[in-house]
Amino acid sequence: MSLTRRILDARAGEEVVPGSAYRWVEPELVLGHEATIALLIDRLARSGRRVRFPDRCFFAADHFTPPASAERAGILKRYLDFVEDQGIATRHLFKGISHQILVEDPRCLPGAVIAGADSHTTTAGAVGAFAAGFGSTDILCLLATGRVAMRVPDAVRFRFYGTLPAWVSGKDLALVMMRHFGEGGAGYRSIEFIDDTDPGRPIDMASRFTLCNMAVDCGAKNGLFVPDEVTWRYLEGRDGNADRSGDWRAFADDPDYVEQVEIDVSTLVPLVARPGSPSDIIPAAEADGERVHQVFIGSCAGGRLEDLRDAAEVLKGRQVPGTLRLVVTPASQKVYLDAMREGLIETLIAAGAMVTASACGACGGIDKGLLGAGEVCVSTSNRNFRGRMGSVDARIYLASARTAAASALAGRVVDPRF
Amino acid sequence: MTEQEPISTAPVWLPRIVGPALRFGDDVNTDELHPSRFYSLDDTTVRSGFLRAAEGHERRADSNLTGRVVIAGRNFGIGSSRETGARVFLLHGIVAVVAVSFARIFYRNVMNLGLPAFTCPGLAADLDHVADGATIAIGESPFGTVLQLGDGRDAIAVSPLDPYWEAVATAGGLEAFLRLGPS
Repeated sequence: MSLTRRILDARAGEEVVPGSAYRWVEPELVLGHEATIALLIDRLARSGRRVRFPDRCFFAADHFTPPASAERAGILKRYLDFVEDQGIATRHLFKGISHQILVEDPRCLPGAVIAGADSHTTTAGAVGAFAAGFGSTDILCLLATGRVAMRVPDAVRFRFYGTLPAWVSGKDLALVMMRHFGEGGAGYRSIEFIDDTDPGRPIDMASRFTLCNMAVDCGAKNGLFVPDEVTWRYLEGRDGNADRSGDWRAFADDPDYVEQVEIDVSTLVPLVARPGSPSDIIPAAEADGERVHQVFIGSCAGGRLEDLRDAAEVLKGRQVPGTLRLVVTPASQKVYLDAMREGLIETLIAAGAMVTASACGACGGIDKGLLGAGEVCVSTSNRNFRGRMGSVDARIYLASARTAAASALAGRVVDPRF
Repeated sequence: MTEQEPISTAPVWLPRIVGPALRFGDDVNTDELHPSRFYSLDDTTVRSGFLRAAEGHERRADSNLTGRVVIAGRNFGIGSSRETGARVFLLHGIVAVVAVSFARIFYRNVMNLGLPAFTCPGLAADLDHVADGATIAIGESPFGTVLQLGDGRDAIAVSPLDPYWEAVATAGGLEAFLRLGPS
């Protein structure tokens, strides 16, 4: 039985309508932010309902934060008023990108069911939770009633083995996944990851977050990492303890999968996604030649402490070209503070970086690092669609923090090993 | 649609929706369909952003698209969950969206907002032959919902809806299905 089936079966209630594959599911956490929740505030008021379970709401402010225009300040204000009026906890506001601060929270646990008003809600699956994104109308009804209609997706078992080479990171693994599936190849499915790599250098949690984050970008409903020693240590570090019970791996070895993928990580090289599609993957070495105007290290896919460490290691004691914009956006304020304590922020600024407040920023084409016509960006984010970060005539490569940092130094897209 | 003229070969089924095609290829994402800078609570702003980053369609929002039927390839609507990216289809008077397959969140958004979405795997083979503006008809046959592309072509089967989506579509959207509308 897939872990997703196991989790959803345990939580699913009655059929939504007779004969349907959809059943009512009550998520224990509902993730929201100002951009998607603002779309439902008036509609909820018109229905005469209120948020039924405010305690289940994990609401961040990360898209228009701090606001870059009067209109967005107005949208943010409506959202903040709503949060206050509905009795929803305010302690997650302004703390960073919702997906990162959720996985820093003790309620994000193996077996949890999490629904989010954002596609990259899938990130939380890296701890062994079921986490999926929804649009505003589904979230409106979920807030009003406490439940949402879902069916159990078919699952793909995605197993890594071998020894991870130096310079290869979670982003490279995510790009391998994108190359395997394409943009829609995992459509409506669950991707369940298993780490059978060399236990001396397992796939770290930051890499697992990136993999589950980008599961949605190849069409998946959710990505889920089968909990193992790495998971337990992460939870122990975060919460002071971890419930190690439950034979997670035994379920994941049960053959209820529509597809099995085996990836030998030993032979991997640093990769990039070419502009236009996150699944158009080539080795970074083969992207050589194109001048880079901006490097962006940030987002829910590539702005974690490990990413900043990788970038600082490459940039330490060196300088990016004077005309190149190196924008660094720590994914959360916790990441920001930890990076300060480790001296990473100082290293990055000394190398020429501009460090911005923890928010979505340039990734969604919102602010602080948009691209003009003819510009080329290397980004650690998850989407490089046409127009994603500004002009439709800009070009975005997706890469790991190491590859992005090395490309910043070179002023062109390069393989960080050379 | 009010237009109910029979298409040239007499159909054995009654067209329910008829309109000129607004045609797209595979993997068209929400950032192309509706760039984030047009995200707004103001309908005029949302409406003006339709297709602004979709290659070959950048100026389409300036023309009248009322009554069009969207025809698309695989994985239509991949990307962001921003519901403005689905709502903008309604703001432009699009009457239905047909695709070989849909990205999951976009499909839910469209159906939840009461815009009929039809999954039609058989469309893949014929999509290249559909011209923008060609007449598209969707309706019920004795064998289920079918799609007809242009005059005289064979009807293509549309995937049957799960009873849940059938109920949501019949109600005209999720809020109406759950009776969450204005009381």
